[in-house]
Amino acid sequence: MNSGDILVLDGLSKRYASKQGTGAGIEQIAFRLESGTFFTLLGPSGCGKTTTLRCIAGLEQPDLGSIRLGNTEFFNADKGTNVPLNERDIGMVFQSYAIWPHMTVFENVAFPLRVARDKTHSRDEIKRLVGEALDTVNLGAYGDRSPTQMSGGQQQRVALARAIVRKPRLLLLDEPLSNLDALLREDMRRELKRLQQQLGVTTVYVTHDQAEALEMSDTIAVLNQGRLIQLGTAEDIYNRPRDAFVAGFMGSPNLLRGVTTQGIARDALAEVRLADGGTVMALFPYAVDAAQEVAVSVRPEIIALRSAQVPCGPHTNRLRGVVTNCAFLGHAYRHTLKVGGLTLQSTVGTQTRFEPGAEVALDFAFDQACGLVQDSKGAKARAGMTA
Amino acid sequence: MTEAAIAAPRLAARRGASGNWRAAGWSSWAPATLLSFVLACLVLPPIGILLVRSLRGEAGSGSEKVLTLGNYARLFGDPELYVSAANSLIFAACATVVSLFIGGVLAWIVERSDAPFKRLAFFTAIVSLGTPYILYVGSWLFLLGRAGPINDIYRTLSGSNDLLVNVYSLGGMTLVEGFLWSPLVFLMLSTTFRRANAEMEEAARMAGASVASTVWNISMRLAWPAILGLGMFVFIRNIESFDVPVLIGTPSRIRLLTTDVYVSLSHNPPQLGYASAFSAVLLLLVAVLLYFYGRLSRNADRYASVTGKGFRPRPFRLGKSRWIAGSVILLNFALVLVIPLAAIIWNSLTPFVRSFSWAGLSSLSLEHYRAVIGDGSYLPLALNTIIASAAAATAALLLTVLAGWLSVRRWPGSQMLDQLTSVPLVFPGIVLGVALIQVALNSPIPIYGSLWLISIAFLIRYMPYGMRYSYAGVMQIHRELEEAAGVAGATQLGLLRRIVVPLLSPAIISGWLFIFLLGAKELSLAILLAGPDSQTMAVAMFDQWSNGQSGEACALGMAWMCAMTVVASVFYYVSERQARPEGQP
Repeated sequence: MNSGDILVLDGLSKRYASKQGTGAGIEQIAFRLESGTFFTLLGPSGCGKTTTLRCIAGLEQPDLGSIRLGNTEFFNADKGTNVPLNERDIGMVFQSYAIWPHMTVFENVAFPLRVARDKTHSRDEIKRLVGEALDTVNLGAYGDRSPTQMSGGQQQRVALARAIVRKPRLLLLDEPLSNLDALLREDMRRELKRLQQQLGVTTVYVTHDQAEALEMSDTIAVLNQGRLIQLGTAEDIYNRPRDAFVAGFMGSPNLLRGVTTQGIARDALAEVRLADGGTVMALFPYAVDAAQEVAVSVRPEIIALRSAQVPCGPHTNRLRGVVTNCAFLGHAYRHTLKVGGLTLQSTVGTQTRFEPGAEVALDFAFDQACGLVQDSKGAKARAGMTA
Repeated sequence: MTEAAIAAPRLAARRGASGNWRAAGWSSWAPATLLSFVLACLVLPPIGILLVRSLRGEAGSGSEKVLTLGNYARLFGDPELYVSAANSLIFAACATVVSLFIGGVLAWIVERSDAPFKRLAFFTAIVSLGTPYILYVGSWLFLLGRAGPINDIYRTLSGSNDLLVNVYSLGGMTLVEGFLWSPLVFLMLSTTFRRANAEMEEAARMAGASVASTVWNISMRLAWPAILGLGMFVFIRNIESFDVPVLIGTPSRIRLLTTDVYVSLSHNPPQLGYASAFSAVLLLLVAVLLYFYGRLSRNADRYASVTGKGFRPRPFRLGKSRWIAGSVILLNFALVLVIPLAAIIWNSLTPFVRSFSWAGLSSLSLEHYRAVIGDGSYLPLALNTIIASAAAATAALLLTVLAGWLSVRRWPGSQMLDQLTSVPLVFPGIVLGVALIQVALNSPIPIYGSLWLISIAFLIRYMPYGMRYSYAGVMQIHRELEEAAGVAGATQLGLLRRIVVPLLSPAIISGWLFIFLLGAKELSLAILLAGPDSQTMAVAMFDQWSNGQSGEACALGMAWMCAMTVVASVFYYVSERQARPEGQP
């Protein structure tokens, strides 16, 4: 099928007047997607990910910057170009699915063909193309149904079929799984990914769920407060977060705040002086200046809990704390600990369990602790991208 | 960082520009601006001409061209004005209380309790929606009148010659007006009670409150803004009311504001300047009331407990007293439907007005029906009424669907659309009539006395209702349904035709039927504007009634009522389907 086009965003900005904002504004968003990429815009609500998507679709008009797909310039603030959304040839799945309740499933999927401006489709052609699209999403037998009688998952597939029926140059997905229940969501993740690979269409996916983003994406962009903080592969984002926000958003609840004692090179081990006066060693994936405010991210699963008497191993940080709570998760125990003024979490296998009140040592290896600047402001990520 | 610094001023400059995915440049401004212009041409001239005319002397008095405050001086110098104003206020306030009480109690019983006969209450309300007011008023006049059964029974029982009830009094008018409005109050409040979130009541019950205390402290408090808003609305409509004042008040020399305007026009020559000044004052009164109504209904949002999920409020169990509640429904059925209807039928079958009696049975005849059916002149009347109402309803929906869509979706230039379509709310029917007479007299096209004028009058008067249906309808269409069509490649016209209008069709049908029903029984506008060839049903019945041919009026009314009940049933059926949450069959 379609091989997809290269999507380029450059310096895209949109600000809302404070009162009437329907979404968050965006600042200087720039990225370039190779053909056929599954690309995810990830971030908390209000970070501007949906605004970015709607700008690409043509549903919002940016204030600055440009959007280009293949050889077509969709939008360019300087030249004043703005292709109307109905001429952009994009497929989009909305958060609410936006299935028209007054049409059958077949009519819903056939709609983009019926209103196509570039060419008219014959009746047989429409029938064949809609049939193909419905088969692709495994709804071949449902054409005559009314979508209002279908389940959420089926409606989702109808929306997908409608988005791909015209073999669009770009597929946009706006939190399509957020209205499904947990089990169905897992199935649909794999289904969506399979479909995208089969069609080879460049896809932009918006979500606030980091697990979803990790599982599905070729490339992830993490957004916060309208800025692109980090762009990279799933492994990159997870293992080498750009700053404390990304680490926190990717599921690390333990952030030890402190100050660097010297300038640190990329991928170097270095000492961090914590707020309470103690020090820990951490691996810094990116270069940091001396006397910078930093945070050390320590994932709950790499903290080992030991009795305070057990000696500390080599190349290992040790903190001392008191257990305040111990919860059974099935595969593990999650301990909540008070360390100085901080509350940390540690997830340990079911063989280890400390009662609340127990004094314990928290051990974690130097190179597993990740040293990060507190707020990168997205500056480096942007500079790296546009180059 | 420097990029952002350079960009900042340009961003500020761009913010005012029209950012809209639907259209760019002039084509984004054109639709709303054009529609605003058309609406302004429709609703503003009547107000303008009224004000101008009120500042001129009467025709033939020589002062026709002179600007003067004479009309206002005459108006406010007349002590009778204050009597009329006081009468109007007392009448409107008391009638509002009556209809709110009857309609409110009934709505609560039907929606929130397990009383029997619930369907009967809806049946009652729907049939009465289709009944011309004049017929209702006539039947109550008969029932409570001097020769009517109630006073008849009283005289027989007491042996005296006094009257138990004198319906030709302010009290009688109030009662009849209250009865007239109670079905509509019932229908509107039942929607409110139906949408109330039952969990709030259940929470109160769980906390230990009794049924009575829950109803008083939770249900009523939550519904209070809606009740207050509806009360204000009914009060305004009662101030504007014309049917009851002219049919009961005028014969008994009880003056109200609306009938005063009518009387000043019945003079020969008609006192247009005086009537205009009077109308302008009425206009101001209603505008002030509407302003407070607007503030009231804005506050109502605060209490809205409507959630989107399809929940079903669980009714209160009344236990033994559910039969008491059931008999309230039966009583209402009897009072609002059976007894007036029986009176109308009785009147239509007796050759002359007489009370219910066994002796009267022998003289029953179908003569009035024969007269009505045999007389070919009624067919054009029915046609006139249907054409004028249908044309007005169609035009109103065409304009308001477009206006509602443009303003809900915030097209550039649509800011005034909602206000423009709402302007006619300030016109009492009689005032709009006075204004349109003068618009027609000054119009280059001869429309005075034609059916066109009546259709335009209906259109202006009922456009606000069309707008409420259209606006609310578009609000219910999820934004993404239109965006999906846009992304799929549809043009704005295409998505309006293929997505918006089909999804809006229940609201369009409801709005159309509602306006049609109102137009079909409108008296105040038609009575002023009808020419010899453009009489409507309501006017014909009024004439017959005034000429003492009440039997024929009743026969005509019965036939008309049957037809309108069919329309009203369709209206109710469609509105109910529309109120159902999406996704349910």
